Amino acid sequence: MAISGRVPLLLLAGLVAVLLRPSASTVLLWLLVVTTLTLLDWLVAPRPAALSLERRPVGATRLGYPTETLIVVRNTSRRRVRALLRDAWQPSAGASDNRHRVSLAPGDRAVLRTPLLPRRRGDLRATGVTVRLPGPLRLAARQRTLVVPGSVRSLPPFESRKHLPSRLARLRELDGRSAVRVRGQGTEFDSLREYVRGDDVRSIDWRASARNRNVVVRTWQPERDRRVVLVLDTSRTSAGRVDDVPRLDSAMDAALLLAALVARAGDRVDVVAGDRRVRARVRSAGARDIVARLQDTMADLEPVIAEADWDSLAGAVQAMGRQRALVVLLTPLEPSAIEEGLLTVLPALTRHHRVVLASVKDPALDRLAAARGSIDEVYDAAAAEQVLARRRRTAELLAALGVDVVDADAEQLPPALADHYLHLKAQGLL
Amino acid sequence: MTGRLRGHRTTLLITLGLLAAVAVVVWSGQGGRTAEDLDPANPGPAGARALARVLDDHGVDVSVARGADELDAADIDTATTVVVTSTDSLGRSTVERLLSTVGDARLVLVAPGPGVTDAMGLGGQPSSSTLGQGTRGACADPAYDALVLEVDATLAYPAADGCFRTDDGDAVLVERDGVVSFGAGDALTNDQILRGDNAAVALRLLGQDERLVWYVPSVADLVGDDGVSLASLLPDWLAPGLWLVGLSAVALVLWRVRRLGPLSTEPLPVVVKAIETTLSRGRLYRRAGDRAHAAGALRRAARTRAAERLRLGTVTDDQVLVRDVAQHLGRPIEEVAALLAPDAPTPASDAALITLADQLAELDREVRRT
Repeated sequence: MAISGRVPLLLLAGLVAVLLRPSASTVLLWLLVVTTLTLLDWLVAPRPAALSLERRPVGATRLGYPTETLIVVRNTSRRRVRALLRDAWQPSAGASDNRHRVSLAPGDRAVLRTPLLPRRRGDLRATGVTVRLPGPLRLAARQRTLVVPGSVRSLPPFESRKHLPSRLARLRELDGRSAVRVRGQGTEFDSLREYVRGDDVRSIDWRASARNRNVVVRTWQPERDRRVVLVLDTSRTSAGRVDDVPRLDSAMDAALLLAALVARAGDRVDVVAGDRRVRARVRSAGARDIVARLQDTMADLEPVIAEADWDSLAGAVQAMGRQRALVVLLTPLEPSAIEEGLLTVLPALTRHHRVVLASVKDPALDRLAAARGSIDEVYDAAAAEQVLARRRRTAELLAALGVDVVDADAEQLPPALADHYLHLKAQGLL
Repeated sequence: MTGRLRGHRTTLLITLGLLAAVAVVVWSGQGGRTAEDLDPANPGPAGARALARVLDDHGVDVSVARGADELDAADIDTATTVVVTSTDSLGRSTVERLLSTVGDARLVLVAPGPGVTDAMGLGGQPSSSTLGQGTRGACADPAYDALVLEVDATLAYPAADGCFRTDDGDAVLVERDGVVSFGAGDALTNDQILRGDNAAVALRLLGQDERLVWYVPSVADLVGDDGVSLASLLPDWLAPGLWLVGLSAVALVLWRVRRLGPLSTEPLPVVVKAIETTLSRGRLYRRAGDRAHAAGALRRAARTRAAERLRLGTVTDDQVLVRDVAQHLGRPIEEVAALLAPDAPTPASDAALITLADQLAELDREVRRT
């Protein structure tokens, strides 16, 4: 039960009666009248069962992009029903304007639109629809919260999408001329064409030129159908926030850009995500819509406060296939975590595959090392230098094991990783 | 037209209900009822209509005088008892007028307060008191001697010869020069008249003469400088009005406090700042005052950076590095060694550590610039 603002107003109207007959009994009488009216109004108010609610599936949207949820409300009773409805969602779903007034004739239906603006990645859920049905005098109302399940899948935003066109242009350049340092290995002969000025003289095919009136050069195209395996670390180190964005989200951004690029380059992308156990596996098999599938898979990945089990992750990578691949480990360059977990499995990985470690660097660390105003700042700077030195040592250790380390700020990591991939592809090192 | 009517139907309904309620209240207010305490026309618990009716039935000619003018018009002689209820509304001027009007007739004041006893010249301050269980008259007047008065609270007057003595020794019923002060006004109310011997006391108090003039003083009769109690000055609709406003406020709270459905909750994510471990390491150094360690870390970082900058490779000997940096910057080797060398002295104080940190940063900038 809920009363409306008319009840206190009606009570105040009793002042007229009190002025005419100043007595305590007048107050009691008036209170009795108002209470009776309110209760009667509540009794004759329509029941919540008079409305049937049905939610249309919401689907997915990218984080920070608006969408809307629709509820079809139908009057199943035989009288006109007025109602106030609130479509409640968890706060991060960003359901604004979620209160709706409807007035439905018998058998009528209305569609309620609630705009959503997800502010968090993952599946965001509706918490219930509250229905308030006032009586004919609108003094009192019946109120109940009904469960109308619904959820919106908020996909990783893929902010680094803006870097894709320039990298694709680079890829097309590579297609035209593949400068391959190691001849004969991993490059594919594409075609013969006429020599134009500026071509590398080393690519002139003399035998073909002898049969032709013009000088003919061989063109090469980069190898296709290589494999790239992205390993997304969702363990405790990925939960750390850099400028209030979890490292995992930045790593996802980088993974999405790389996957989009790799798919366009004609290579295959496989993705493994996990911490103590493997949480997600995606095999592309050359699909074009790999980005959408990855976004869908990554949507409900959350960092777990547990140490990563690199044995099982490496096992999952090996299980993806025996073909040589580019394995990209998206994990923070956290010295202790890497030395204790990753280092033991790296030799096995590097023996079969080319391994790249992509890490989100914290710009706050450099800022901390540079600030030297007070004694507190100097101690903090010393600690930051210590951490930076350890990171550098770990990076050197990894390099000695044959692992390329891409360590960049959250903003810079996706393009840096994409560039590294293009570099490897141009060099025919995949 | 009908559409507009339908649109405002609820407003119309409420207005009609309001008018009906007001009409009922006005109608029920007819018939000279009042809400005044101890009023002979008040049928409520605090009124005294029962007493007035019973007196009337017993052959006493009861006439009600509301206000001083009606009292003046009343026929008062020695065979008349004048009873005054609502004595709070008496002021100095109305008391004088009352005394002159009453003359030799018997005057009964019901629960006169200090202001009234003063104005009457009765002497002695009345006090609030309680009567013990089963208090009898116990006085010279045989009319009250054996009767039991039962009230919860009463006013009592200091007197040697009064009836119904309270625990403090004061009397509830006192007669002085033909003026009777009766402190237990509650005993006359419709509610309590049947307790103990209250009815008998009331009848003997008021029914001694053939005629009874029931004087209900009115505040309107007062003149400017009369001292009256505050309660008689406030409008009588104020208290019920305030009650109504209070009830309305409660309803207002009930209206606003009802939320449209429960609060929605958010499953909160873990928030860990990546920089946190570094900051706590810094705090650890600070708490331990570990200047040696801090200076070592800063020097090592500066050496690494200088080596990178001068492209000396990562495995350069520290002395070679110091020499190269000094040459590069054109500064004395000793000065650079005091800053960079791993075996340079530890800063003796926090201030020295800050200076060292600043100098290392400056050196770093110089190396980068040249």
